Amino acid sequence: MSANIRPSGVFDTSYGQDISINRTRGDKWLSNGLLIALLLVPLLTAEGPLGISLVPQLWIGLIIRIAIFAIAVQGLNILIGYTGQISLGHAAFMAVGAYTSAILARELGMSFWLALPLSALFTGGVGLIFGLPSLRVKGFYLAMATLAAQFIIPWILRYPLEGITGGSRPLEVPAPSLFGLSFAHENAMFYIIIPLAVIMALAARNIARTRVGRAFVSVRDNDLAAELLGINVFSYKLQAFFLSALYAGVAGCLLAFESNSLSLDKFLLDRSIEMLAMLVIGGAGFPLGPLFGVAFVNLLTQNIIPSIIPSVKGVLPSLFPFLNPINVDAALSPLLFGLALMVFLIIAPRGLAHRWEILKISWKLRPYSH
Amino acid sequence: MASLVKQNQKIITPLLWIIGLIVLVALFAPAIAEQRPARLVQSGITGLLVGGVYSLIALGIVIINKASGVFNFAHGWMMLFGGFMFYSFFSVANISPFAAGGLALLTVLLAVTMVGALRALRDGRTLLVAAAAVVGVTLLLLVPIPMLRGVVGAICGGALIGLAVERFAIRPLIGQPLFAMVLMTLAASELLQGITQMIWGSVELPLAVFSPLREMGIPTPFRFEGTGAFEGTIIVRTELLAAFILALLSFAAFVAFFRFTSVGLAMRATAENQKLAQAVGLRVRVILGVAWAIAAVLAAVAGILQGGATSLSLNLPLLALRAFPAVLLGGLESVPGALVGGLVIGLVQEYANLLFPGTQAGTELAPYVLLMIVLVIRPDGLFGQKRIERI
Repeated sequence: MSANIRPSGVFDTSYGQDISINRTRGDKWLSNGLLIALLLVPLLTAEGPLGISLVPQLWIGLIIRIAIFAIAVQGLNILIGYTGQISLGHAAFMAVGAYTSAILARELGMSFWLALPLSALFTGGVGLIFGLPSLRVKGFYLAMATLAAQFIIPWILRYPLEGITGGSRPLEVPAPSLFGLSFAHENAMFYIIIPLAVIMALAARNIARTRVGRAFVSVRDNDLAAELLGINVFSYKLQAFFLSALYAGVAGCLLAFESNSLSLDKFLLDRSIEMLAMLVIGGAGFPLGPLFGVAFVNLLTQNIIPSIIPSVKGVLPSLFPFLNPINVDAALSPLLFGLALMVFLIIAPRGLAHRWEILKISWKLRPYSH
Repeated sequence: MASLVKQNQKIITPLLWIIGLIVLVALFAPAIAEQRPARLVQSGITGLLVGGVYSLIALGIVIINKASGVFNFAHGWMMLFGGFMFYSFFSVANISPFAAGGLALLTVLLAVTMVGALRALRDGRTLLVAAAAVVGVTLLLLVPIPMLRGVVGAICGGALIGLAVERFAIRPLIGQPLFAMVLMTLAASELLQGITQMIWGSVELPLAVFSPLREMGIPTPFRFEGTGAFEGTIIVRTELLAAFILALLSFAAFVAFFRFTSVGLAMRATAENQKLAQAVGLRVRVILGVAWAIAAVLAAVAGILQGGATSLSLNLPLLALRAFPAVLLGGLESVPGALVGGLVIGLVQEYANLLFPGTQAGTELAPYVLLMIVLVIRPDGLFGQKRIERI
């Protein structure tokens, strides 16, 4: 791994320095500066306290969305990237977190600050149940088991629990508040979600560097060998499922409180596939992978594809006269998304973060980068 | 304790099975007892008939898994694509020669370049055969017999999709991590969804394949009046029955193909061990392509049959997802397993619909619950090979 390559002239004199995330002064300035700049963004929108519109309001929603999904995909990264267990049911775990927190807030009048950890822990428990097949199966088999979760959980939420979840009707969620301050506006939610996303990302980064994280990686690389080394494979697989579902639960809870209304069609199979795509495009097994992937896929589905569609829409029916223009309009977004994914998987199957690492190494080793 | 369990495993394992069965029966006995016997028979028959198509889908998935070692999550969209292809050539009165020629050309092009474009171009005889095939298929697609046209179109379209997915999606990823492969088949299914929606739209299309049955004077549907304990009417939909019979026939045909032809033998050898197959002179790349093409044609057949029994709609790919539990139940490598698994899933689906009405339990829940149970209790399926792992 490349993490140990430092710019020339930087030497470690203590173990603390060796394992610190911001190793050089430049790193520290860069990461703190970026974080502060990010936290300033809502102040510069038209609806902010200063009333100046330097930044379009749309960006706030976009950043919040990216942050929430970054949390969810961090969880997926722990499971897939570090432990090597495939999950196709991540959206269902998000649904568990979202509905648990919404029901705690609605039925029991619990505050957001209590509902968040409780729903996250509950989701982790549900994750444990669906992690049980990992005792006996792996690879594609496990993908199927988690696919079962993706169908069973929404079914349970929709039919047997219809009384409290509202079935397929949308469910309203009260806005969080603290000491009388309401966080109803998205600019206010921003200050809950972004710090939480940063904390969760740091936690994921650090989990990967502990004994548990190293055990995860050994299970991924060869579970039989890991078992021979004395690692309790089943226990660590379950821990990975628990952590992954916990992250999904936090993300789901944030999604519920952020949009104030909740419906089951936000958590269908497509969403699980999208999150898997985010992780693989970003780079599974890299700490920065989820962030890259979420940002890139959001950019792709929200900006790039909608901007391509109008030009393609005109050309295609004239090239192929049997195409109906109305159908073309509806079909282009899945088509282009699938195409982009396939091209991306062929060009960079290890993801953007892998490319980024290579770039960083060649930069640090210049001019002898090969 | 552990050694005690190990010594008596031969007794304990069947005991566990029996206990599990008793618990299961005890759980469902009250609900089953409430139902009228005629309804139970009805659900059993419908379930078996529905299961035929599941078996066919499962067979396609098994073939691809044996050849390439991949779970093909795009199978449902291949199925819908094949069904729509059939629809186009079956229902549309005048086919444009360009569309027919283009389809034939693309399919033959992909088939011929399976070993590499240059090698195909250098070989004069291959080129001649390919040109003849293009012309022949185009003419077949233009013959004014809807059924023939439809079948040729569906086979052609299915083979085209199968070859294309194998060539452009699966082959470049050989040697890459597993989740890249999983995502690739999912991405291929997105792409196929886009293509299918673009050409045929998102509306539900009825497929009148089985309407000739009515003209032949076969009653639709069959009705049986039960007497005594089985009082009530049992209805067997003719379309469903015809789809079931045709599904089983196609299943048998493909099994015979694997069993008795040299290509089938080569495919079985490749599935057994790719390196050894290559060493004895088989063209593994060609065989993988053929396997995908066959599986896609099977998917197309399943799509046509299901479309004829109900209709062609965007719900069909979800049906193919329910065939995955069938595959795992039967065993991933097992062809008879696909048949048994498919029928069992059909039965489970219908009985769940009967016992929990109004909740979509049969289509959305029961197959996946069964899948979880199979994965925990018997991960190799009923007929699958035990996987032995070495470091």
